[in-house]
Amino acid sequence: MASGYDRALSVFSPDGHVFQVEYAQEAVKRGTCAVGVKGKDVVILGCEKRSAMKLQDTRITPSKIGLVDTHVCLAFAGLNADARILVDKARLEAQSHRLTVEDPVTIEYITKYVAGVQQKYTQAGGVRPFGLSTLIVGFDKGTTIPRLYQTEPYGIYSAWKANAIGRSSKTVREFLERNHKDGMDREETIKLTVKSLLEVVQTGAKNIEIAIMAPGKTVEMLPVEDIENYVKSIEAEKAEEAAKKKTSRAPGSGTAAILTRPAGDDPAE
Amino acid sequence: MSRRYDSRTTIFSPEGRLYQVEYALEAISQAGTAIGILASDGIVLAAERKVTSKLLEQDTSAEKLYILNDNMICAVAGMTADANILINYARQAAQRYLLSYNEDIPCEQLVRRLCDLKQGYTQHGGLRPFGVSFIYAGFDPQRQFQLYQSNPSGNYGGWKATSVGANNASAQSLLKQDYKEDCSLREACGLAVKVLSKTMDSTKLSSEKIEFATVGRTKDGKVYHHLWAAEEIDVLLKEHGLAKPDDSAETG
Amino acid sequence: MRGATILKATDNKTRDLNSHTLMAFSGEAGDTIQFSDYIEANVKLYSMRNSTELGPSAVASFVRAELARSLRSRNPYNVNLLLGGVDPISQKPHLYWLDYLASLAPVPYAAHGYAQYYCLSILDKHHHPDIDLEKGMQLLQMCADELKRRMPIDFKGAIARESRGQEWHTFSGSRQ
Repeated sequence: MASGYDRALSVFSPDGHVFQVEYAQEAVKRGTCAVGVKGKDVVILGCEKRSAMKLQDTRITPSKIGLVDTHVCLAFAGLNADARILVDKARLEAQSHRLTVEDPVTIEYITKYVAGVQQKYTQAGGVRPFGLSTLIVGFDKGTTIPRLYQTEPYGIYSAWKANAIGRSSKTVREFLERNHKDGMDREETIKLTVKSLLEVVQTGAKNIEIAIMAPGKTVEMLPVEDIENYVKSIEAEKAEEAAKKKTSRAPGSGTAAILTRPAGDDPAE
Repeated sequence: MSRRYDSRTTIFSPEGRLYQVEYALEAISQAGTAIGILASDGIVLAAERKVTSKLLEQDTSAEKLYILNDNMICAVAGMTADANILINYARQAAQRYLLSYNEDIPCEQLVRRLCDLKQGYTQHGGLRPFGVSFIYAGFDPQRQFQLYQSNPSGNYGGWKATSVGANNASAQSLLKQDYKEDCSLREACGLAVKVLSKTMDSTKLSSEKIEFATVGRTKDGKVYHHLWAAEEIDVLLKEHGLAKPDDSAETG
Repeated sequence: MRGATILKATDNKTRDLNSHTLMAFSGEAGDTIQFSDYIEANVKLYSMRNSTELGPSAVASFVRAELARSLRSRNPYNVNLLLGGVDPISQKPHLYWLDYLASLAPVPYAAHGYAQYYCLSILDKHHHPDIDLEKGMQLLQMCADELKRRMPIDFKGAIARESRGQEWHTFSGSRQ
């Protein structure tokens, strides 16, 4: 059925698919998971981090979270080498934007740029698409409204309250749909990010990376000890919730129950 | 079976994989082994060279180890012809950096330049990926001694000890077993020959079968790199009891 | 006011290139801004791309190379520069003198423009290789006083900026 229409790089098949791009999305799904969550005046990026092998030099292993400009942070899922090229293009654009219009880029502008580059690679001759999705977060200059965007191999971009890309992103997104509230403070937002990542990361804090963006500041990477503390408190909560469920099957009524119940259910799934 | 996704240009397979890149990796896993070990006072690179004929001149040029810059050397596994292109590119990139900033290019940046080029060949039309993996050893003031490895996909990473080429899995597990944090360069050299002797087919080594290079610092803090001469390798092999009994290494 | 030339009181002729390198410029009005915008953008781009910052000597070489390129173009920039900073690795202070002909010289003290005819003699007399920051500020004050007294333009004061390796602090000099 697909014969021929997935060879040439940018051609529609009779039923309207561009196969190369769809396959690129498969590459994204094979990548490690990344999560973005907006709070009231903060936006958090979380990433699943592959554990370093014994002989790896931990000083140098490239991170999946990077800065595009001092106020724009990007996380990706998909092919590492492709990401390096795409992020570099975005960094160049961010500085060139500063030079020509004397203002830092808005988050939407740079997202649109990244998505535009990705789109070009689905249509230009003799290239394959970028095998990656990105989450782009930050604050526009002089504002306190958090921004979170996603781009995909097709060149689509969209704004989100919270979203996940990469391996098991569907599970994480569903978790976020159930648990995200508007107007969360910094602590709550970080906690939700860590908690959503724990849906797919079984090995705890050492395999999680958290980046925090706040208005007028550059990125802050959360130290691993702090992530450890979040993980511990989440696990304690889960255990407590599970114990409660055993003793009485009465459904929780407060807002706290909404946060913890689905997670408590999870081991059974 | 998968013919449709693995010829001509590099494109995604339905599972989102790049077969061309994976096949290039396959090609490399048949090439001579190369290993690199990071020590507290330097780095050693060692590689197995395949001697195809006795008539080959031994002393003319290194086949597996190359100097990239004043502060960096590399070992190659895979297609030598492809490697030559990349090495040339890296040397030029390093000199361009020196021209504009009047200092040596930081190691990671040089590795990244090369890897960006490699990535390009997995994305842009009509070209196959480069069939080479590299191990890089270098020094810069910010991160001191550093060891990197890169492969045809354009990915790279930093390592304390690593190997590429044939038998790299067993070499890697040997390294994992015997590598000591903060070992000295001398100890690292010993480990390197030991690992090579186990991964190469022959139990006894000779200087014509292997290449050796080190990066280190002189007493006054100057960075040096040194491709070893055949005699130096023989001395090292004897020291570790791995030299051939009848020393027939003639180096012209 | 005694002279015929009036300086803009708020003109800042310095530019932060990164957290430990500062550039001061003089020359053709439009060129200076245009050129330092360009240098600033490129040094910042380097920081973003490599997650590390160029040291003062690398910045100086880069600026010199750009000036040299510009000099051989159809319309070269007419900019003279002073570049100072503290190397983030060695923690050593650096000062470079550059002119529009793309000369680059590491110097212990320097001045550009008409002011240098008044200042250099003071610095020649009072500068010592091992003076501390406070003494350096005093020397700048002496220079500013001299300019106020002798230079035939309306001198609106000076901006002095110091670096202790991390950040740049700004002092408004003797503003009248």
